[in-house]
Amino acid sequence: MLWLALYFPYLPLEIYSRGQSEESPLAVSKRHGGRDLVDRCNGQAAALGVRSGMTLSSALVLAPELKIRGRDKQREQKALQGLAAWAYQFSSRIAFDPLLLLLEVGGSLRLFGGLPALLEKVEQAAPDLGYRMIHAAAPTPAAAALLARCGGGVVREKSALHEALRQVPLARMTANAAVLELIEHIGLSTIGDCLQLPRPELARRVGPELSLLLDRLLGDAADPRALWQPRACFKEHLLLLSEISHNTALVFPARRLIAALCGFLRGRGGAVQHLEWTLLHRDEQITRFGQGLLQPSRDKEQIVNIFRERIERLKLPGPVLEITLTVKAWQLFRETTGALFVDERSTADPVFLERLRARIGEHAVQGLQPLPDYRPEQSWGYRDLSAAGETVFSREAATGHGNRPLWLMEQPRLLVTRDNRPVYHGRLQLLAYPRRIETGWWDGDDVARDYYLARNASGERLWVYRDRRSGRWYLHGFFD
Amino acid sequence: MDTVQQTGLDGLLQKGEVWRGDGVSRARAASRTYSSGRKELDVLLGGGWPAAALTEFFSAAGAGLSLLVPVLAKLSEQERWLAWVNPPYVPYAPELAARGIDTSRVLLLKDLEHKQGLWAAEQALRSGNCAVMLYWPEKIAPAQVRRLQLAAESGDCMAVLFRPLRQRVQSSMAALRLQIEADQEGLLVKVLKQRGSWPGGSLQVPV
Repeated sequence: MLWLALYFPYLPLEIYSRGQSEESPLAVSKRHGGRDLVDRCNGQAAALGVRSGMTLSSALVLAPELKIRGRDKQREQKALQGLAAWAYQFSSRIAFDPLLLLLEVGGSLRLFGGLPALLEKVEQAAPDLGYRMIHAAAPTPAAAALLARCGGGVVREKSALHEALRQVPLARMTANAAVLELIEHIGLSTIGDCLQLPRPELARRVGPELSLLLDRLLGDAADPRALWQPRACFKEHLLLLSEISHNTALVFPARRLIAALCGFLRGRGGAVQHLEWTLLHRDEQITRFGQGLLQPSRDKEQIVNIFRERIERLKLPGPVLEITLTVKAWQLFRETTGALFVDERSTADPVFLERLRARIGEHAVQGLQPLPDYRPEQSWGYRDLSAAGETVFSREAATGHGNRPLWLMEQPRLLVTRDNRPVYHGRLQLLAYPRRIETGWWDGDDVARDYYLARNASGERLWVYRDRRSGRWYLHGFFD
Repeated sequence: MDTVQQTGLDGLLQKGEVWRGDGVSRARAASRTYSSGRKELDVLLGGGWPAAALTEFFSAAGAGLSLLVPVLAKLSEQERWLAWVNPPYVPYAPELAARGIDTSRVLLLKDLEHKQGLWAAEQALRSGNCAVMLYWPEKIAPAQVRRLQLAAESGDCMAVLFRPLRQRVQSSMAALRLQIEADQEGLLVKVLKQRGSWPGGSLQVPV
């Protein structure tokens, strides 16, 4: 067993500030003894002299720019749950501790190529989420958590735990007030002091609680932890410290959510094809929009780029207070999808199409295909460009219907006639024998037309037809 | 006397010290072209369609696509898109296929407003994902034509702009500018500008 503890000491602050691209003085407050005190503050606030435990009024005197938010344990817990969903890619056994995640990684070390490689992966992935973390690894969850809270460290063997924990103050072990009081009374300051005493005498003297804590720390007693149960779908909120009114400025916080999503997907071997964004405004109606991808993906940069294109052309009713990313359905990620990225000249390159679709709209980007039908309107169709719609073209199989134009009008245009001859930019001269198309009676869209190649005075070659029922002339295409 | 002058001129020509305006200069010959599929047209164009550069078609009624069918068919063998930005009508898929164009390579970028059209055209050129980009802009400024020309070079993409006849007076950085008129015989192609050669050549292309 090897437990990896990820400690997020600034989480109470970061749930508010991680959507900001630039840091500003920020503190979270707590109510204590009828007064509002600074609970924690960020580096910018500390530089101005704000300290933990200070009253809010004195903090505001020191730093008038200071933004203050109430400490929100519920939101912190939610954020931690979100982090657990992200961390699921590294381990399937995850437990919580205040501001801390515990991952049992002993079983997944080989998969990641050893502990240093795993730690590197965790460190690389973390900054995108907008949380700072301290990590520690130890054979027991309690020891890993304690080491992380004391600045981090790696202890691989149980036997080395004594040495590693020797200097740690006893008071750091627990938040339990009764135990803390006891520690104060017995005159022992560090864990090392405690461990020097014979264990039965110590147990008699300090009572069962501290003793159990020590045993769990060193792995002498079982330390059962409730494991986190992964959720089926992804939903994460991001609160903005200050309202964002520029569309492009939303890319930064969105990147945080996308990073979390990609971690979530990695943990489940999944990929996503449709994302739902919700933007909360102060007074105006909520803005909702979807972001579709041509192919399932969990490539963070790709999703961010598409989001950027999408958000740039969106008209927002007002500044944004909070962003939510929801993914209800995801599918299994097929590694073969990655192979398509290799040849960037290939028409299968989805990134190029994604950019176009995101910027100019999904309906504006289309493929084209011939369809087996004699009626001109039914003999072609737009083609879905996602991988599923891939068709194989065979030159041998492609047969024209003979003397048809390069251009078709989506709607035939009624032509005026002069002396019973159709007119379009001058009188039309009919060049070839008519070609009759009379078909489609079975689907109610039947046509009975005589098609002609015609030329007008300025030399344009046109495809016109006479409707055999009404006798009217229509323009249906161009040859050049 | 005549012979002496002749030899002198020949000598100069052989040394390569005289630039010959009637032929296609070395720079032009060195830049890549795609065959147009018609010998006479290739001669007129100095080898064929400029491969990674901009060509402008000026015509009254938007004619000229039929001239490009052979090169489109050839380019559709590549693993790259044939992009059509704001085509005026629907390219008729069965006929394109019948003439050898792989319609699964066709990428339509349609119904775009002016700015989006320009953006999409430039993206298609620059990305390297397209073998050819055909564009029907309503209007286009010389600076924008220049941007597209540069994008075509960087993305190794053949670009063709279909423009109204009256806009031909505008100067442009395009490598090749053609005036195309439909007449009773077929299409009359006139060279308005050609890199490294004189304008003014023309050819009747039967259809």
